[in-house]
Amino acid sequence: MQTVLYVTDDQERKGNKEIMEEFTVIGKRISKVDAVDKATGRALYIQDFKLPGMLYGKILYSKYPHARIIRVNTEKAKALPGVITVLTGEDIPPVRLGVYKDNPPLKAGKVRSYRDEVAAVAATDLETAREAINLIEVTYEAVPAIFDPEEALKPEAPLVHENHKTNLLKMPWNLHYGDVEAAKIEAAFNVEERFSTTWVTHCCMGTSGAIADFDHADNLTVYTNTQIPSLAQKDFQETLKVLGFKDKRVRVIKPCIGGGFGSKLDTYAYEHVAILLAWRSRRPVKIVFEREEEFCATSPRQPTVTYISMGCDKEGKLLYRDMSMVLDNGAYTSWGATTPSVMMMPITSLYRVPNVRYNAKCVYTNNTYSQAMRGYGNPQATFAIESAMDMLAEAAGIDRVEFRRINSNQPGDVTPQGLKITTCGLPECIEAVSRDLEFGRPREKGVGVGLASLIHVGGGARIYKSDGCGTIIKMDDYGKVDVFTGASDMGQGADTIIAQIVAEELGVKVEDVHVFHQDTDICPWDVGAHASRTTFVAGNSALGAARKIRHRLLNMASETTGIDEDKLTLKNRAFFADGKQVLPIGKLLRGSHFKPRGEMMMADNFYDPPNENMGRDFSGNMSATYSFGTHGVRVKVDEATGKVEILDYIAAHDVGRAINPMLLDGQVHGGVLMGVGYALTEQVILENGRNMNPDFRDYKILTAMDAIHSKAVVIETVDEQGPFGAKGIGEPGCVPTAPAIANAIYDAIGVRIKDLPITPEKVLAAIKKKNGAVSCGIDAFTQKEQPCE
Amino acid sequence: MRLPKFEYFEPETLEEALRLLAEWRERVCVLAGGTDVLVKMRNGRLKPGAVIALERISSLNGIGFDLRKGLTIGAGAKLSDVTSHPDILRYYPAIARAARVMANVQVRNMGTIGGNLCNAAPSAENAPPLMALGAVVTAASLEEERRITLDDFFRGPGLTAMKPEEIMTSIFVPTPPANSGASYQRISARCGVDIAAVSVGAMIMIEDTVCREVRIALGAVAPVPMRALSAEAFLKEKVWSEEFLREAARISADESRPISDVRASLEFRKQMVAVMTQRALEEAYGRAIKR
Repeated sequence: MQTVLYVTDDQERKGNKEIMEEFTVIGKRISKVDAVDKATGRALYIQDFKLPGMLYGKILYSKYPHARIIRVNTEKAKALPGVITVLTGEDIPPVRLGVYKDNPPLKAGKVRSYRDEVAAVAATDLETAREAINLIEVTYEAVPAIFDPEEALKPEAPLVHENHKTNLLKMPWNLHYGDVEAAKIEAAFNVEERFSTTWVTHCCMGTSGAIADFDHADNLTVYTNTQIPSLAQKDFQETLKVLGFKDKRVRVIKPCIGGGFGSKLDTYAYEHVAILLAWRSRRPVKIVFEREEEFCATSPRQPTVTYISMGCDKEGKLLYRDMSMVLDNGAYTSWGATTPSVMMMPITSLYRVPNVRYNAKCVYTNNTYSQAMRGYGNPQATFAIESAMDMLAEAAGIDRVEFRRINSNQPGDVTPQGLKITTCGLPECIEAVSRDLEFGRPREKGVGVGLASLIHVGGGARIYKSDGCGTIIKMDDYGKVDVFTGASDMGQGADTIIAQIVAEELGVKVEDVHVFHQDTDICPWDVGAHASRTTFVAGNSALGAARKIRHRLLNMASETTGIDEDKLTLKNRAFFADGKQVLPIGKLLRGSHFKPRGEMMMADNFYDPPNENMGRDFSGNMSATYSFGTHGVRVKVDEATGKVEILDYIAAHDVGRAINPMLLDGQVHGGVLMGVGYALTEQVILENGRNMNPDFRDYKILTAMDAIHSKAVVIETVDEQGPFGAKGIGEPGCVPTAPAIANAIYDAIGVRIKDLPITPEKVLAAIKKKNGAVSCGIDAFTQKEQPCE
Repeated sequence: MRLPKFEYFEPETLEEALRLLAEWRERVCVLAGGTDVLVKMRNGRLKPGAVIALERISSLNGIGFDLRKGLTIGAGAKLSDVTSHPDILRYYPAIARAARVMANVQVRNMGTIGGNLCNAAPSAENAPPLMALGAVVTAASLEEERRITLDDFFRGPGLTAMKPEEIMTSIFVPTPPANSGASYQRISARCGVDIAAVSVGAMIMIEDTVCREVRIALGAVAPVPMRALSAEAFLKEKVWSEEFLREAARISADESRPISDVRASLEFRKQMVAVMTQRALEEAYGRAIKR
C-alpha cells in the first residue's frame, strides 16, 4: 500500500506550500489517540461492561418467514431457576421503531421475517437466559410469504402488513429535471440495461450490544453501540413515553465501538427489548449479540434492482440519464428505504448530465430489512451508472477515459438537482488514474483495466432539519484541553482528527487534548456519525470552539504581557513574540482564575453547515461541498474458473485536505477492500428469507490474506468551507470499486456482469452465454473454447 | 458458550490413552489440535463425558522419511510442521501445499494432520493428495494395530473406518516412484482462510511418454473424499496428450457427485472438478518429467 500526494494548481496559487510548513499537527501522520488502548485491551467495549445486579437478556427469533403466532407458552422458561423476566409481544405496550414506525421490538400476532423477535428473557446469567429461550414454545401457522420485491408488487402477492393495504411503501422517490424524453430522441447514442445488487453486511468486529438501566426515579441510562447518540436518546425517550414515563431523563453512554459502517445509524429492537426487560425486572439488563445474531438480526446494505438508460450526443456529451429502481425493503423499515435520497446525488450529478429522471419503489417482502451502510445507496447507484458509462462510451466509439474527461464535473457547476460544486478534483482524479494505470499498455490475455468515479457529500448532508454538531472546550490550569464533542468515534478516528484540529488551533500538542464523545449527559448534541460528515461538521464545530478559546487566550496574554495581540503567536504550549517565548499557556491559565473576577477558560460552539434540505422536488444543495474520486483497477480473469484476480488498484480521491494522511490511508484502503468484497465475494445469502451463511466461514468477507496491492492518490483541493480545507472521506473509498472491477472484467474478457457479487460462477456463465450454448468456457490447458457436454 | 462438565485427561503414553478410550468408549472424545472438536463442543454438536488430549504423547507427533520406504507422519503432527518439513517439501510438494492452503496460521499451528483426516469432512484438505499418493493410516487399539488405506478410510461426512476404541497413530506415504509427480489444486471463494469448494489431488508416473500409473482424488464433491477411478482407468497406459488429459478431466467431473450449497452450485463444482483435475494432472506431469 502506498500513498501519493498531489496538490492541485489552484492550491499552489493559494500559497499552500507556506501554509503546510506553518502547520504543526495538521497534515501529519499521527497515530490514533486510542491506538495503544485498543491494542493493549484497555479500551472498554460493551462486552466489558458489567453493572451491579445486572441481568442477561436473550431474544427468541421467528422460525418462519411469515406466520401467525397462535400461542406462546412461556411457563417452562419462567419456571427455570435464574429466570427473572420473560416478555412476549403481548406483554408490552405499543412501542414502534424505525423511520416508518412499522416495527415493534417484540412481535405479537404475526411474524414477517426470520429475524422477527418473538419473545425475550432476562436471567441472572447468560447460560440460563439461553436455556430459557429454548424452553419457550411458540405455535405458528405459516402463511404464504413473498421474497421477490418485483413479485411483491403484483396484486395477488401476499401482504406483509395487512393494515398497509399494499406492499408498496408510501415513499415516492421521484424526480425529473429537464426533459428526459426529448433528450432520448436527441441523443446519438443510447444504452439501456438492468443491474442488481444484493445484501452485504457490515461485519463489525465488535458485535452489537446494549445495557439498559433505570434508576430509582425511572430515569434511563442506555449503554449502547450507536453512531447516533442524540437521536438514539430521542428514540429511547419515545419508548419511555409509551411505557408511561414522562419527563424522564435518558442518558446514552457509548462504549468503544468495534466498527460502525452505518450499521448503528438506527436503534434496533434489541436495544428497546433491553429497556423493556429492565423496565419489567427493575434491574439493569444487558443484551449482546452472538456472531450468528450479528449476521441475522442486524440490517444489511439495501439491495437494488436498477433499470438505467443513458444517452449522449455525437461528441460524447451526456444528454440524459433515466433510472428506476425497485428496493427490497424487507419486512420492516429502517434507513435502507431512504437510501434513494443519497442515490439521487450520483444519479443527477456524477458527471455533467442535463436531463435526469429517477424513481424508486420500496417494497415490503418477508426478507430481512436493510439499513445504512458506507455509501448509503451510492455504491448501488454508481455500480449501474459507471457500468453504463463504459457501455455508452463503447457505443459512441469514444475512449473510456476520454468519455469521462468530456463529462467530468468542474468547479463552479450547479447540477440539475441543485448541488453546488465548489472545489472539484474529479478531472485530476481521472488523470491520476489514467496515468498510473497505463490504459494504453499492450494487452495480455485475460487481463483488463477499468475505471469508475464517484461523487459524495463531503460537507455534511442535511437529512434532518439540522446537520449540526456541538463542541465544548475546557482548558485546565496546565494548558491541557478537554474537548466535549457531539461526534461519535467508532473506530474511524474522529477523536484523533478533532484533537489535531484543536491542538493546531491552540498551539498545543495532540497529547494535550482529550476528546470526550461517549456520553450524552456530558457531550453536546450531534445528528450522528453518517454521511462522511464528522471531520467536516464536528471538525468545524471543534475549530470554532477552539478559535473562541484562542481569541481569549491571546487577549489575556496580551493583557498580562503588555504585548500587542497581533504580535503574539501561540505555539508549542506557549506565547511567542519576536520568535521568543514570553509566557507558557499553563501559567497564563493559572493566573486567570487565581485572582479577583477570575474566569474559567471554556467555550462552546454549534456548527451547522451551510447546506440545504431537499425541496419537494428533491432538489437542493444537500452538502456544503462534495468529495470526488476515481478508482482504476487492472484485473486478470481465469477464464476456466471465472476467478478474478486484482493485479493493481489505484484510488484517487479529492479530499480537500488530508488532516491526517495515515487515517486517510486507513479510510481509503479499508474502503477499497470493502468495495472489492462487495464486487467479488460478499453476499448475505437468503433462501426464502432464511440466512444461509451467518458465519465467517461462508460469508466471504475478504481477509488480511486477500488484501490487494492498492495505491491511494490524494488530491488536495483545500475547500474553503472545510476545517483547514478538509472534506469528508469516510465513505467514498468503497463507492466506485464494484463498477471499476466490472468494467475491467469486461475489458479483459468481453463479458459484462450486471449482478453483484461477481462470483466465478457468474463469470463462467456469462462467458458461456457470450460464446453461445456450444461453449462451456475456456479450456485451461489449450486456452481454447471448451464445448459443453 | 459455556461447555458442559466433562472429564479431561492428558495421557503421556499411547497405551494410557487407549486404556482410557476403552474405559469410556462412546462417551469420550479424542482431542488432537482441538480446532474441530472444541468448535463442535462449543456449539453443542459434541457433548462428550470425557476428553482425552493426545498432545503430550510425543510418539504421535514425529515426521520421519526413509527414501527406500517412504514418509511416516505422526497423526499428531501439526499442519504447520507438515508444511515446513524439508523432506515433505522436497518429495511430497502436493502434501505440503494442501496443509499450507487450508485454514489460517493459528489453525495450522494447532490443527493436526490426523485430526483433519479423522474429522472426515468431505472437504478435508489433506485427503486428496494423500489418497493420490497411496497413503495408509495406522490405527491402534489395546488389542491390535491396523493399517487402513486412505481409500477405505472415509465412510461418510464425519464417519471413518476407525472403531471407537482406536486412535490413529500415523499416516504412511510410500516413496513416490521414479518418473512420477503429484499435485494438489483447489478453488475457493477468497484466497485465504477459506474452505475449498472443490479440490483435487493427482499423481502420475510417466514412462516413455506413457502414463503408467495415475491416481486422482477429489475433495468436496461427494460425501467423502473420493478417487476418480474411471478417469484413472481412462488415462492409464495412454500416451500423454492434451486430448486425453482433457477427456480424463471430463470423466473425472462426470464421476464426481457434488451437491449445491452456499459455497458453490452442483454445476459449477462439476466444471471445477474438470478444471482442477486438468490443472493437477498438468502440474503432476510437469513434475514427473522433471525428475
